[in-house]
Amino acid sequence: MIQLLRIELYKIFKRPRTYISFGIVTAITFVIQLAMLTDGKGFVNFALSGVNEQFDIQGNILNGYLITYIILQSLLIHIPLLVALVAGDSLAGEANLGTLRLLLTKPISRAKIVLMKFLSSFIYTVILIVWLAVVALFFSLLLFGKGDMINLKSDAFVMILQSDVMWRYGLAFAFAVLAMTTIASMSLLLSAYADNSIGPIIATMGIVVVLTILSNLELPLFTVIKPYLFTTHMIGWKGFFDDPVPYAAIGRSAIVLVLYTVGFLTATILYFNKKDIKS
Amino acid sequence: MRKYIGLLIVILTLNVSVSRADDATKLFYTLRSKILTVKDYTADVNMKIDVSFMRIPKLRGTLYFKSPNKMRLERHGGLSMLPKKNINLTISNLIPAGAVTVIDLGNVMVKGKKLRLVKVIPEDDNNNIVLTKVWIDEANLLAVRAETTTRNDGTVIMDLEFGNYITYALPDKVTIYMDVKDYKLPKGVTMDYNNETPTVAVKDKTAKAQKGTIEISYLKYAINTGLTDAAFN
Amino acid sequence: MQAQINVLLEPIIETRGLSKSFKNFHAVSDLSFTINHGDIYGFLGQNGAGKSTTMRMLLGLIFPDSGSIFINGQEFNNSQRHLLSKIGAIIERPDMYGYLSGWDNLKMFATLSDSSIKADRLHEVLEIVGLKGREKDKVKAYSQGMKQRLGIAIALVHKPDLLILDEPTNGLDPQGIAEMRSLILSLSRDHGKTILISSHLLYEIEQIATSMIIIHKGKKVVEGKVNELLNPDETYVEVDINPDSTIGAKIAGSQWQAYLSSVQPATLVFKMNPHHTPELNRWLVANGIDVIEIKSKHSLETYFLSLTDDTVITNRAI
Repeated sequence: MIQLLRIELYKIFKRPRTYISFGIVTAITFVIQLAMLTDGKGFVNFALSGVNEQFDIQGNILNGYLITYIILQSLLIHIPLLVALVAGDSLAGEANLGTLRLLLTKPISRAKIVLMKFLSSFIYTVILIVWLAVVALFFSLLLFGKGDMINLKSDAFVMILQSDVMWRYGLAFAFAVLAMTTIASMSLLLSAYADNSIGPIIATMGIVVVLTILSNLELPLFTVIKPYLFTTHMIGWKGFFDDPVPYAAIGRSAIVLVLYTVGFLTATILYFNKKDIKS
Repeated sequence: MRKYIGLLIVILTLNVSVSRADDATKLFYTLRSKILTVKDYTADVNMKIDVSFMRIPKLRGTLYFKSPNKMRLERHGGLSMLPKKNINLTISNLIPAGAVTVIDLGNVMVKGKKLRLVKVIPEDDNNNIVLTKVWIDEANLLAVRAETTTRNDGTVIMDLEFGNYITYALPDKVTIYMDVKDYKLPKGVTMDYNNETPTVAVKDKTAKAQKGTIEISYLKYAINTGLTDAAFN
Repeated sequence: MQAQINVLLEPIIETRGLSKSFKNFHAVSDLSFTINHGDIYGFLGQNGAGKSTTMRMLLGLIFPDSGSIFINGQEFNNSQRHLLSKIGAIIERPDMYGYLSGWDNLKMFATLSDSSIKADRLHEVLEIVGLKGREKDKVKAYSQGMKQRLGIAIALVHKPDLLILDEPTNGLDPQGIAEMRSLILSLSRDHGKTILISSHLLYEIEQIATSMIIIHKGKKVVEGKVNELLNPDETYVEVDINPDSTIGAKIAGSQWQAYLSSVQPATLVFKMNPHHTPELNRWLVANGIDVIEIKSKHSLETYFLSLTDDTVITNRAI
């Protein structure tokens, strides 16, 4: 098992394409940081206009913690694509390359192969999120300094003391890993159905985009289905920046994500175990 | 004879009320002068902002004040939040300056304590303050509550508790109740995590909706140290 | 010891009534065959006859709709994947991870087959397939022939008893084909491997196989030993002559009448051992018949070629 996992990881990290994801994360992070360096004040004034009318807020509002939050908020929409680049490719890419049939003629069960593909995608996801954490937090703090963090919700203005922020980021990144693992498992399922990796990658993005829109639409029809969409729960990391932290809701979201992940993974194994390899 | 007696009573009553009014005016001016003896102060404070849509932890910091209306909260690298415009957190700002008309509303009992309630109306029509009611502890010459109706900033109520700095009429604790406008950002912009727990805003929509409270505990004052305006930039 | 002998007595592969359909297309129908230890077993059929589907079923890549597969006497299904450790395979193209070196590819698949395989063994198989010295190059820089060799190295590295090679000469130039042929023969002769090799070309099979099967539209047409199926007495010898209306009569009285298969004024076809061709030629010349050309073609080849015309074939004896 460990050998197989090592091999899967070796394949992922020996491939130049894998590093494109890290490059993209770095690039987007820097672009947002640059934009905030030049236009951040205007952005903050716009966002805070409702509060600024009544309160005079002074100090380093546009600090590294807020920038990191903004980066996370924007990037966590794109990271599913980067996760799908690897997870969506893991079975379909091998089918396309022709190596899948060679892999499956080895004396290893298909369930194990799927599990190791999932585990390796998970490890890649963890590393990607850790990289994001390092680039976003480290460089944002370096460029923008520390300070109390403000978090603007649609109906609330939350302020978190700087001494109270880091643990929240720790948990938020851990939650992001969970959310992205759900994406990875869905991508893997789509990957099992396809014989080239473009399909699952595009399908993953399509599903995420459509469900995210449904999750954000304030219409009675969608309100009913919202709690059942995994996209509704993917932003559970934001809960850690609320006061008080809604642990019960975050816990529920985490359970939903875990259930989806297990569901996708089980479906992948069941389907892949019976799939005829014609590629 | 009964006519005269009646007239006498009327004259005496009027006299009493006039003298009471004079008394109240004097009381107010004396109180104001006492308050204004504090030209500036620097104080270590704990501030708790309780506004329906704001979730702000207790803020520790140093509050700088310079008469008549300069105020700054220094939070050693953290964010400072103070109510904007003409309202600040000091009693001197909530009682009108200049010539005023004082109406005596008599004695009232608040929390078992006898207080003199006066209504103060500034004579200057352009003053932001339209009307202030002040509850005065006559014995200690302290304003323990002020209810100020402003032209632009709604009604502000301030409760003051005194202790260590009673001689300067500086409170140990101030609670300010003020009107707060509602706040809303489109959900599409914020992409909220809907945690399904009622937010403070929802909870508060009942009784004291749109009322904000700011509670300041003054731990230590440094009074009249000659703060310059530079301290407020 | 007894167990080993028993295994050797069992066919290495036996299929019984294998069938597989894809939607309405019957890829393999009721296919039964047996491969014995030590065989080079030729699997012959046109493109699309069901060769690859069958081989994939043997490797657990495709699941039969019905029928069963036995490897060394044990029924093979997906839960018995350990049986695959006895098999090495190349299915269709030898596809590898192009971004990795030959060595990395070999090592990776070797580990998956048997994690105890050491570097010495990798060097050994690279030597056998003739890739020594090129193992550090990225596979994407390899020629088709080198990829095939690496494919065979991967198939060989865990010392399997059986090699399944699906059209291993596809895409190779004539020299590559010859080299591949001698490699396969050496694997059988020098390394004792049983080899199942598929092709759509009879002469390829003819040159190396000991047993063979021909399948057509997923069905078995014939199975047997190559030397029996390709009996020289079953060769068609076709003689083109200057048209001669009396030719029928001339042959009728001779010893060649027994071999005559068909006669036309300009073409005679005999079914005989081509060994007799010089003698036949002399007799024709002696009898005043002008011989223009003599061609010989085995009946199996004639038959096999007829399949490509997609004519309806009955199970006639060859």
